[in-house]
Amino acid sequence: MRKKTLMGFCAMLLLSISVFAQTSPVTGKVTDEKGAAIGGASVLEKGTKNGTSTSSDGIFTLSVKKGSSLVISSLGYDSKEVKALDGISVSLATDVKALSEVVVTGLGVATSKKKVAFAVESVTSDKLPAGLTADAGQALVGKIAGAQISSTNGSPGAPVNILLRGINSLRAGTMPMILLDGIQVAATDFNTLDLNGIERIEVVQGAAAASVYGAQGANGVIQLFSKKGKQGRTNIDFSTSIATNELLNVGKVHKAYYHSLQTDANNNVLGASGSILAFDNALSSYTDNVVWNSLDPTNNNNKAYNKNLSYYDHYKMFFQNTNMYNNSLSISGAKDKIDFSILASDNRQKSVFKGNGDYSRSNLISNIGVELFKGLKFRSLTQLAYTKNTLLDPTGRTYFYALNNSRPFANYDYKSPDGNYGAYFGDAVGVNGYNPNYQSQYGAVTDKKIDIIQNFNLNYRVNKFVELDAKYGLNYQTDEIINNISAQDNNLNADYWQYWLEYYYPRTSYGAPSAATETGEINTTDYKTTFQNFLGTANVRFDFEKDFHLKVPIKSTTLFAYDYRKKDYSSYATYGVDAPSYTPYTTVNMATYYVASDYKESFLTFGYLVNQKFEWGDIGGVTAGFRSDYSSAFGRGQKPQTFPMANGYLRISSLPFWKGSITNTISEFKIRSSYGEAGIQPGAFDRQPTLGTKNLGGSSAFVFRTSNPNQDLNVEISKELEIGTDLSFNALKGQWLKTIDLHLTYWKRSSDNVIYAVDAAPSTGTGTILNNAFGLSSNGIQASLGLNVLSSKKWNWNFTANFSKQTSKITSVTGPPVVITSSAGSSSYILQAGEKVGQLYGYRMLHSVNQTDENGNLYIDKANQSQYATASNGWVVYNSSTSGNYKQPYVTPNTYSFGDPNPKFNITFLNDLTFSNFLVISAQVDWVKGSHLYNQTKEWMYRDGISGDYDNPITINSTTGAWSAFYRGVYAQVSRNGTKDYFYEDASFVRLRNISAALDFAKIFKIKQFQKLQLVLSGRNLVTLTKYTGMDPEISSGTANSAFDRGVDHNTVPNLKSYQVGLNIGL
Amino acid sequence: MVQKKYLLITILSATLLGVSCKKDLEIINPNSPTPASATSEAGIIGLAQGGVYVNGFRDLKYGDGVFGLFWSGAIGFHDLLGDEIGAEAANSFLNQIGCPDKVVLDNNTTVLNPNAPNTFKAFLRQVNQNSYQGQNFIYYEWGYMYNMISACNSVLETLDKVTFAGNAAAKKATIQAWCYYWKGFAYARIGSIYYAGLINNTSFATNGNYVAKEKIIDESNAQLDKATAALTTAAGSAADYTTVMTAIIPPFNQVGLGAVPTTDQWKKAINTLKARNILVNTTVANMTAAQWTSILSLVNSGIGNGDNVFTGRSNATGDFLSPQSGVVSAKIQSSAAGGGTYKLSERWVQEFNTADKRYVQNIKQTTQWIGNTDRGNVFNTRFTLYNGGNGVSGAKVFANTSPGAYELYLAGSYEENELMKAEAKIYSGDINGGLQSIDNVRTYQGAGLAPLAGSGLSLAQAKEELRKERRIALAFIGLSFYDARRWGLLDNPRTNCVVVDNGGTLNTKATITYGYLDYWDVPDNELAYNPAASGSAPTKNPK
Repeated sequence: MRKKTLMGFCAMLLLSISVFAQTSPVTGKVTDEKGAAIGGASVLEKGTKNGTSTSSDGIFTLSVKKGSSLVISSLGYDSKEVKALDGISVSLATDVKALSEVVVTGLGVATSKKKVAFAVESVTSDKLPAGLTADAGQALVGKIAGAQISSTNGSPGAPVNILLRGINSLRAGTMPMILLDGIQVAATDFNTLDLNGIERIEVVQGAAAASVYGAQGANGVIQLFSKKGKQGRTNIDFSTSIATNELLNVGKVHKAYYHSLQTDANNNVLGASGSILAFDNALSSYTDNVVWNSLDPTNNNNKAYNKNLSYYDHYKMFFQNTNMYNNSLSISGAKDKIDFSILASDNRQKSVFKGNGDYSRSNLISNIGVELFKGLKFRSLTQLAYTKNTLLDPTGRTYFYALNNSRPFANYDYKSPDGNYGAYFGDAVGVNGYNPNYQSQYGAVTDKKIDIIQNFNLNYRVNKFVELDAKYGLNYQTDEIINNISAQDNNLNADYWQYWLEYYYPRTSYGAPSAATETGEINTTDYKTTFQNFLGTANVRFDFEKDFHLKVPIKSTTLFAYDYRKKDYSSYATYGVDAPSYTPYTTVNMATYYVASDYKESFLTFGYLVNQKFEWGDIGGVTAGFRSDYSSAFGRGQKPQTFPMANGYLRISSLPFWKGSITNTISEFKIRSSYGEAGIQPGAFDRQPTLGTKNLGGSSAFVFRTSNPNQDLNVEISKELEIGTDLSFNALKGQWLKTIDLHLTYWKRSSDNVIYAVDAAPSTGTGTILNNAFGLSSNGIQASLGLNVLSSKKWNWNFTANFSKQTSKITSVTGPPVVITSSAGSSSYILQAGEKVGQLYGYRMLHSVNQTDENGNLYIDKANQSQYATASNGWVVYNSSTSGNYKQPYVTPNTYSFGDPNPKFNITFLNDLTFSNFLVISAQVDWVKGSHLYNQTKEWMYRDGISGDYDNPITINSTTGAWSAFYRGVYAQVSRNGTKDYFYEDASFVRLRNISAALDFAKIFKIKQFQKLQLVLSGRNLVTLTKYTGMDPEISSGTANSAFDRGVDHNTVPNLKSYQVGLNIGL
Repeated sequence: MVQKKYLLITILSATLLGVSCKKDLEIINPNSPTPASATSEAGIIGLAQGGVYVNGFRDLKYGDGVFGLFWSGAIGFHDLLGDEIGAEAANSFLNQIGCPDKVVLDNNTTVLNPNAPNTFKAFLRQVNQNSYQGQNFIYYEWGYMYNMISACNSVLETLDKVTFAGNAAAKKATIQAWCYYWKGFAYARIGSIYYAGLINNTSFATNGNYVAKEKIIDESNAQLDKATAALTTAAGSAADYTTVMTAIIPPFNQVGLGAVPTTDQWKKAINTLKARNILVNTTVANMTAAQWTSILSLVNSGIGNGDNVFTGRSNATGDFLSPQSGVVSAKIQSSAAGGGTYKLSERWVQEFNTADKRYVQNIKQTTQWIGNTDRGNVFNTRFTLYNGGNGVSGAKVFANTSPGAYELYLAGSYEENELMKAEAKIYSGDINGGLQSIDNVRTYQGAGLAPLAGSGLSLAQAKEELRKERRIALAFIGLSFYDARRWGLLDNPRTNCVVVDNGGTLNTKATITYGYLDYWDVPDNELAYNPAASGSAPTKNPK
C-alpha cells in the first residue's frame, strides 16, 4: 500500500520527464468490476518511476519498455500487475479488506481510512434499506456504531432523533451538521433529502473529528455523497414499491371494557341529574355529567357497557391501514470528460390516523461533472424537492390525546341530523376528550415546501504540490402553510360548548373559545430560509523523499481553508377571520385580517482553518491544527473563537517486526488517538437586548421581556479526546469466517459554556436570562464488529454488530438547579450538577411498608405502617377501611430522581446473505437495553378511568375487585397527574427493524436486456419484544433531537409496522 | 487555456477575500426596538403603558392557559379561596386551592379534604418549592406584581432622559404619578397576601432584605402618597396631563368609567386604595376605632358615583383581556352548570336576597353538575352565570364575553368605596348611615331591592346585609378572600352552607371548615434565587 501511494504521488512528477529508453506507447483502460471507468488511477511501469494516471474516462497512455509490466492502483481498490500490452483493459477489484475505504469527512481531503486518526463511520447505499421510507434519517437507524438514532414518532414525515456522541448543548439539541458533498445543508430538513440519490454516508461523531468544522461541529457531522455517473454504458434504473402500514401496538393498549360509573338497578349509567344518561341527538353530546365515585373503596370497575351506553373501540374507529408508494427513476453515465446522474423520485403516504391527511415528497436531482481542462474539474449538484402534506395534526399528538382521553362510550362516528360531527361530547365523555372527526370536517391544511440545493464545486490541481478547491452552496427553503377552517357557526354542538376549531383566531388561553361564533378562518404562514456556504481550500503536499530527495519517508499535507456561512430566515403569518356567507372565498373576502407574525433573522459566521499533517510512510501520522471562527452571534466584541486539534495514528501491523504468522492472523492493527475542540453557536440574536412590543388596541406598548438575551454570550465549546483501535483478523482458512474486523473507540468529552435560560429572582422583574451556565461531560464506547461469516462460490454472508454505549451528565451549573417541564406534559426534568441529562423527578409509590429512601429513612413511620399493606399487585396501599384513602396507593410527599432514562447500550445486528448473485437476504435487529419511558399517555388514561388497567382485579385486605380507588388514586394521590414512578417503565426492546429478500430475475434467467430485474419483499418493525406497556417503546414526545426531553411517551403516535413489495429495474 | 485557468483562480481568490469583512458581523436584530427607543416622549409613554398592562398583568415566565393571566388566574386563586368559584382542572393544583379541610353534610357525614396532604396549609407548603415552577400557584401574584414594580422603576429611572414637548414638568409628573400609583397598587397586593415581601425601588435588581407584610403596606401607602403629590404637579397643565393619560390608557379601556380620570378623581381612587389597605389587612375582630375612623376619612374622599377609575376591557384581539378568558366571570359563564373552567359556587349563589334582580339577571340554574369525587365536595353546582345577562334592565351583569362589554375595575370602584363606608359606619355605630351606603350600591347595580335604610335592622342584621352585599357587589375581582380572612372564616366553621355532595344530594345546612392559610409564605421561586439576608423578617407564616 505504501508503495502504491508513493507511486501515485510520483506518477504526475514523471509526466514531464523525457523518455530516453527504447519505448513504445501503450494505451489502455481501467475499470471497476462492474465496468465503470476509474479516473485518477495510478499506472506505473514496474520497477521504474515511469508512470501516469488515468483520465476521468479511465483511459491512459504510457510509453514503456517492451515486455515490461504495469502496476495499476487506485484508492479503494486492490492493485493489479499486468503485462504492458497496447489496448489492454484492466479491471480492478474493490478492496474488501478493512480500512480500504476512502473518507473525507472531518479531514478536508480524501484519505484512506487506514490513515485516519479518528473513527469515521460510513455506509454505502447498498447497505441502506431499499426504498421503504426514502428518508435518509430512517435509513441510518442502527447503521452507525456509537450513535443512538431512533424513530420517535410514527407520523408521516416525522424526523428521527439523532444522538451521536453525548449531549453537548441543552438548547441546541443533538442534531448534527448535515453536509451534502462537503457543503452544509442548513435550510433543508435532513429527511427531505432523497435516499435514492445518495451513494454513501459518512458520519464523524464528535469534536475530535469535527474540529475542522469549528463553531458548528460539536454535535458531529453527517455527510452525504451524491451518486455520480460512471464511465461505461448509460444506466437507466427504475424502482417502484408499495408498502402497507399499520400502527404498532406492542403493549396491546386498549380502553377499559368495563366501567364503574353510577348506574341504576338495570345497569343504566346515570347522569348527575339522577336520570339515565342520554345522548342529545341534536347537540351531538351528553349534556349531563356522569357520577363516578372513583375513590369509593367499594367501587368496582366491572360494569359492562350493555344498557344505555355501548363500548366503541376508538382505535379501530380511527386507526387505518394505509399504503405508501415509492417510485424512482434515474439515468446516469459518463462520456469523455462529462459525467452525469439525473434522478427523479416520488414518495407518498397517508396518515395512519383516519382523516389526518397525507404526505408526499418528490425530488429531482442532477449531478453533472465536467473536466474543463486538465486538472480543473467543475461539478454542479442540484436537488429540488417538493414536499406537500395535508396533515391536520402533523405530530398526531393532539388527535391521539383527544382520543385517548375520551371514554369509550362516545360514538365519534355519529353525525347530527344536519350532517355534522360534534366536537365535544360533554364532560361525561371526559373533559380532555374531543372528536377528531370534527377537525377533519372543518379543517383543511396544505403545507407546501420547496427546497432548492445548488452546489458548485471547482477543483484545480495546480501542480503536484498544490490543489485548490472552491465550493459554494446555496440552499433555499420556502414553506407555505395554509390553514383553512370552514364556518362552524351552524354547528349546534360547537355553539353549545363554545368549542371551535381555530388556529390563529385570537385567544389568550388554550381551551378558551375565541369568539361567540367561528365563522371561518384562513391562515397563511410563510417561512423562508436561505443558507449559503462557501468553502475555499488549498492543499499543499510534499513528499520529502521524492520532492526534496531526503532519505526519510515523510509526506506532508497542509490544509488551508476559509469557510463562510450565512443564514437568512423569515416568517410571515397572516390570518383572516369571519368568512362571508358565500363560497368560495379567499382571504380578501374575510371581514378581519391580521398579520400575526413578521420576523427576520440573519446569522453570519466565517472562519479560517490551518491543518498540518505529517505521515511516516505507511506506519503512522500526526496532525495538528486549529480553526478560528468569527460569528455574528458571539458576545460583544466579536472576538474569534479558536478551536485547536491534534491527532495521530500508528499502524503497528506495518512495523517491521509485524510479519510472518502474525500478519497472517492479524493483518491490520492500528491504534489512534485524536483530540479536538468544536462548538455550537448561540442563536442569531441571543446577545442583543431588545424591548418587546405589543399592540394594545392601536397603541404601541413597549414591554420588558420575560426571557432576556445576554450581550456576553459565548459559543458553547466541546472538548473531546478519543482513542481507538482498528483490527483485522484472518480467522479461518476455509470458506467460513475468513475475516473479522473490529473497530473500537473510547471517547470522553466535556462541554463548557453550555447556554441555557437561567431563572432570575422574580423580584428583579425578569424571568430568565441566557447564560453560559452549564458544564456537561460525556463518555462512551463505540464498537463495530464485522464478520465475513461465509464466503463460497455461491454464498456470501456478512454479519455486522454495531454497538453504542454512552452517558452524559451535568458537571456544573450556575445558580440553583434548573427545572424543566417536559414539552411532553407535566413530567419535570431537573438539571443539576452530578446528574444525568434528562433525569426525571417525581413521586414514588412503594412495594413494602418499610421501604426506605436512599438515606435509609423510612418513607412511612413505624407508627403509621399498620395503616398500609401491600396489595396483590405489589403496591403499598391504604389498608384501613376507616381511612378516607382506603385502597388508594401510598405516594411519597416528596419527589425523587428516577435515575438515568438513557439506555445502558444500543446494539444492532445486521446480516446480509447473498446467494449466487441473484438472491440477497438481509435482516436488521436492534436491541436497546436499559432505556426508560415515562408512560404519560397511560397516566392521562388513568384520569377518567379510561385505561384498560382499570379492568384488572386486585386484592386488598382480602377483598378482590377491580378497585377504581386504587387506579384513580395512582393518578390523584398527592399530585393529580403528578410524575410518579408507577408510570416510569423499562422501555428496553429488541426489534426486528428490517427483513428483506431480493431476487434478481435478470441474473437468474440471464436476461440480457436487463442489468437488474429485482423483486424485493421486505418488512419493517415486524417483531418487537419489550416489557413496555405502551404502544411502542421507541417513541419520545419531546421535540425532535431535544437534549433532555427524551424519555416521555405523551400520546405520541407509535411507529408503523410495514410490509413492502418493490421492483427494481436496471437497463 | 492557461490564462483561463488563472482567471478562474483569480475570481475564486477574490470571492474568498471579499466575503470576510468583520463589520459584516454587526447584524442587528431588525424585529424589535432597543431599550434606547424608550427615551422619546412616545417611547416612555409606550413603556409606561406596557410596563403596567403587559408586564404587570400578562407576561410571566410561567403561565397556564387554563387558569389564565393575572385577572383570571392570580385573581381566580383568590376567588377560589373566597368560595365564589370552584375548579376541577388540576393545572397548578387549581382544584386543591379551593378545597376546604372539612365539610359536614346535613346528615352529619364528615367529608375531609380528599387530597394528600389533606389540609390546605400542608398542601401549600408542599407545592411551595422552586422545583414546582409554575405549578406553585402562589408564585403568580408575586411574579406579576414585582414585574410591575420593576417596570415602573425602570420608567421612573428613564424619565430623566426624556425630552417632552409642551409642559414637560406636568407630563413628567403624570408619568411619575402613573408609576407611583401602580407601584402602590402592586405593593398593596403583595402586602395583602404574602407574609413578607421586598421593597425594591431599583429596576431589574433586588435585595435579600425581606420585610413584614405591614411594612409592605406602608410602602404601598408611601408610593400612593407620592402619586398624589405628583398629581398635584401634573394638574399644572390639565391638557398635557390629559394628553399623556389618553396615550397611556389603551383606547379600548377608555370607555364608560374607564375614560381618563381627572387628577382629582385619581386622587380619590388613591384614597379608596389606601382605605382598602387598612380594611383588608385587619380582621374585623381586631379593628380599632381609630382604624375605622381612618377608613371613614379616606372613603369620604374616595371614589364617588360616576367618577372615572382605572378599568380593563377586552377587545377582539385580546390585547389586554381576552373576551372569553380574561376575567374570572368569563371563565364561569357557560351553557350549563359546570361547563366553564370555573364552577359557580353554591355558597356564592346562596348570598342573594330573594327578588334581587341581579340574581335573575345572572344566575342560571341547569342540570346539576357533579365533578370528580377526589376534588372535594364543594365545587359541584347547579348554577352558572348567564353570558351577557338574562335581559333584566338596569341590573349588573357579571359575565359578558362580547369584546369590550365587561368593565373590570382594576383598583377600586365606587361600589367598593361605598361598601367600605358602609362597613366603617356600621362598625362605628352609624348603622343607618351604613345601610344607606349599602342601598346606594344596590341602587347603583340595579338590585331592585327594598331599601335597608330606615328599616331598623339590628347591628347583626346590618353586618349580615353588608357581608352579603360585599360578596355579591364586589364578586370575581379578587376581594373575596380578603373578606373571608378578615371575617374569620378561615379557621372558624361556616354554617348553613349549601352543598351539592358527590352523590348529588342537595345539602342546605352543611358546615364548612376552610382551614386556609391567611397570608401565604414567600414563594420559594423567589427564595431559591434570592435567599433571605440576615436580619430579614420571617418569610414563612408561622401558622
